[in-house]
Amino acid sequence: MPTLPDGSIVVEQVWKKFRSDKTVPLFYEQMARLRRNIVDRSAPDYRWVLKDVNFEVAPGESMALIGVNGSGKTTLLKILSQVTYQSAGRCTVRGRIGALLSVTSGLHPDLSGRENIFLYGAVLGMSRSDIRRKFDTIVEFAELSDAINRQVKFYSMGMQMRLGFSIAAFLEPDVLLVDEVLAVGDASFQQKCLQRIGEIVRDGTTLLYVSHDLASVEASCDRAVWLSDAMVRAAGPTKDVVTMYRTAVEQNSNLLNTKTGIVEVKKAEIRAVDGGMLRSESEVEVRLVLNAPEEAMATFFVGISQGTAFPMFVIDHTGTMPGGDFEVICRLGYLPLPKGHFSLWSAITGHPKGKKDPYLPWQPLISFEAFGPDRMEPPEGVMALSPVYVGADWKVG
Amino acid sequence: MVPLVVTDVSTIPAEPPDDILYTHKVRLVDSLRVLWDHREIVYTLAERDFRAQYKQATLGIMWAVLSPVATLVIFVVVFSRVKGFGTDGIPAPLYFFVGIMCWSFFASSLGTGGNSLLTNKALLAKTQFPRECFPLETMLVNALNTVISFVPLTLLFVIFGRAPRIATVWVPLFMLIEVAFAAGLTLAISSLIIQMRDLQQVLPIIISLGIFMTPVIWPFSKIPSHFHIAGGTMVHGHWVGGITINLQVVYGFFNPLGPVITSVRQTMLLGHNPSWGPLAAAVVGAACYLVFGYKIFKRFEVNFADIA
Repeated sequence: MPTLPDGSIVVEQVWKKFRSDKTVPLFYEQMARLRRNIVDRSAPDYRWVLKDVNFEVAPGESMALIGVNGSGKTTLLKILSQVTYQSAGRCTVRGRIGALLSVTSGLHPDLSGRENIFLYGAVLGMSRSDIRRKFDTIVEFAELSDAINRQVKFYSMGMQMRLGFSIAAFLEPDVLLVDEVLAVGDASFQQKCLQRIGEIVRDGTTLLYVSHDLASVEASCDRAVWLSDAMVRAAGPTKDVVTMYRTAVEQNSNLLNTKTGIVEVKKAEIRAVDGGMLRSESEVEVRLVLNAPEEAMATFFVGISQGTAFPMFVIDHTGTMPGGDFEVICRLGYLPLPKGHFSLWSAITGHPKGKKDPYLPWQPLISFEAFGPDRMEPPEGVMALSPVYVGADWKVG
Repeated sequence: MVPLVVTDVSTIPAEPPDDILYTHKVRLVDSLRVLWDHREIVYTLAERDFRAQYKQATLGIMWAVLSPVATLVIFVVVFSRVKGFGTDGIPAPLYFFVGIMCWSFFASSLGTGGNSLLTNKALLAKTQFPRECFPLETMLVNALNTVISFVPLTLLFVIFGRAPRIATVWVPLFMLIEVAFAAGLTLAISSLIIQMRDLQQVLPIIISLGIFMTPVIWPFSKIPSHFHIAGGTMVHGHWVGGITINLQVVYGFFNPLGPVITSVRQTMLLGHNPSWGPLAAAVVGAACYLVFGYKIFKRFEVNFADIA
């Protein structure tokens, strides 16, 4: 096999098993296993968290790992960074690995921010002279120059996260493994982190990025691998893989009417007022056929999301909800959606007598296709998550 | 541009083929080289623990001096009243303090080092440097604390109007034996504790038992150097001739700490030569502990992150 250049990752037939119940003390487990082996050979006491995973990443490429919780993404990163070992197969990572599997686990609460920079830097593989050289840059990036001599236990969660990420951001490895670390922190710092990741990739570092935030995945990665049930389902250009993943996740959530509240949903639809296809910029109508047990004051919510649970926009209306069967029609003068697959969400809140639940819990009701031009892409490294103003005209009755 | 490849999931078997199963190879020389490359992490983690240890204590680093002194006072008060344990003509505080210093380094290394993988769980599961850094780092902290307790030792020398003898130059060698012994045992125990948490409860019991099995209070010379097994004749209640074994050597192999403590006393306090027989056994014993301890640790390290 020819030697691979620094910055390459090769994953060949990687399998990983976990013991089924990690909390059981080993002794009892051994006994139980012994008994099982004798009595019943069929039930395994482990499960596979990775099955036959194969992919390659060339130096300088950026790749995302996507998939629902528990699909094995983090385990794969841990194997690549040799925090844990595979059960079968082979993993090759060439060059210096920078693994950012958790931003705050390396911080010691009793030490000051300054001491922690040296500690965490060393733990992540930086030499002392390196850290000393980059110290000011790190502090500046973390926006912590006022608090740097304070003990970290007096930092807020966001400050700890900023400190942790900033140290890792100046690691300069050949391969950077990042695991869902941007989930906390305010939006402007998240944006800053994404930009920094973009810079790192432009400087030639190989990036392997795990995130549930598909917008940031699309912004920072050329390729994606979709893991599902411990297996690779699809691999290829980020856009295609993300689209497949979104579609599957929506089908999985079994859109129509999964949870019924006090109010029953009989029908939900979104349609163009002119009777044609749902086109961008066209006038559309959301129609809900509902049944309520009693007349009451209520607030109606309608929102649209792209796959994940975070709506792009929500519109609401407060008014009298009639008892019995009734219809809610919400007319949008202008459909602000590009071509794509979307979900329609709804909720009805208020003060039902003797109950704490809302009339209708927030949930996706249907999914639909919108037709029109492709979404316009933001500049590289930027997430397109902007609030949308949508004017609407309501009629309830 | 790479094409989109969709896997047919049904072609993936339920179990991996046997020929690709992963085996964890243990090569101590390679491991040592990797460890050496990561030595800065050991220093940094030790610095972290050392700083954190005294950070919010009012007396701060003074505790590194005060706690062995407190132990010493207890020992002197209790054991100077017990007849039969001679101190070879050395003032009891000096005699005991040397033992306490050697013992407390060993005991605290085992105690904190044995639990080090558990206390560093968060790092263990998320970062990638060699796992032996954790036990070794705690040992380094304990070594620092021990070095600080040289201050009261010096004071004791002044108080009793004595000076360390020339033979003190041997002491670093003895310390090396102790460090090797402690490191081997700590590595093995830490790798076992993380898998079997029961040991976490057992360890303090074993350590507190250990002080009585080690010549900290009683003199090493209590162990017979000519233990009779067979042959010879009994004269006035003593065996003459026949086969005897030097139990001090046997003991020294299994507990290198015995010859170490005795040798420190013999050289530093009395100016004698150390007794080479037990000491040689201690060297061999400590080397075995180190090699096997490290091997056990490396053997089990595959699972650390998964079970931590």
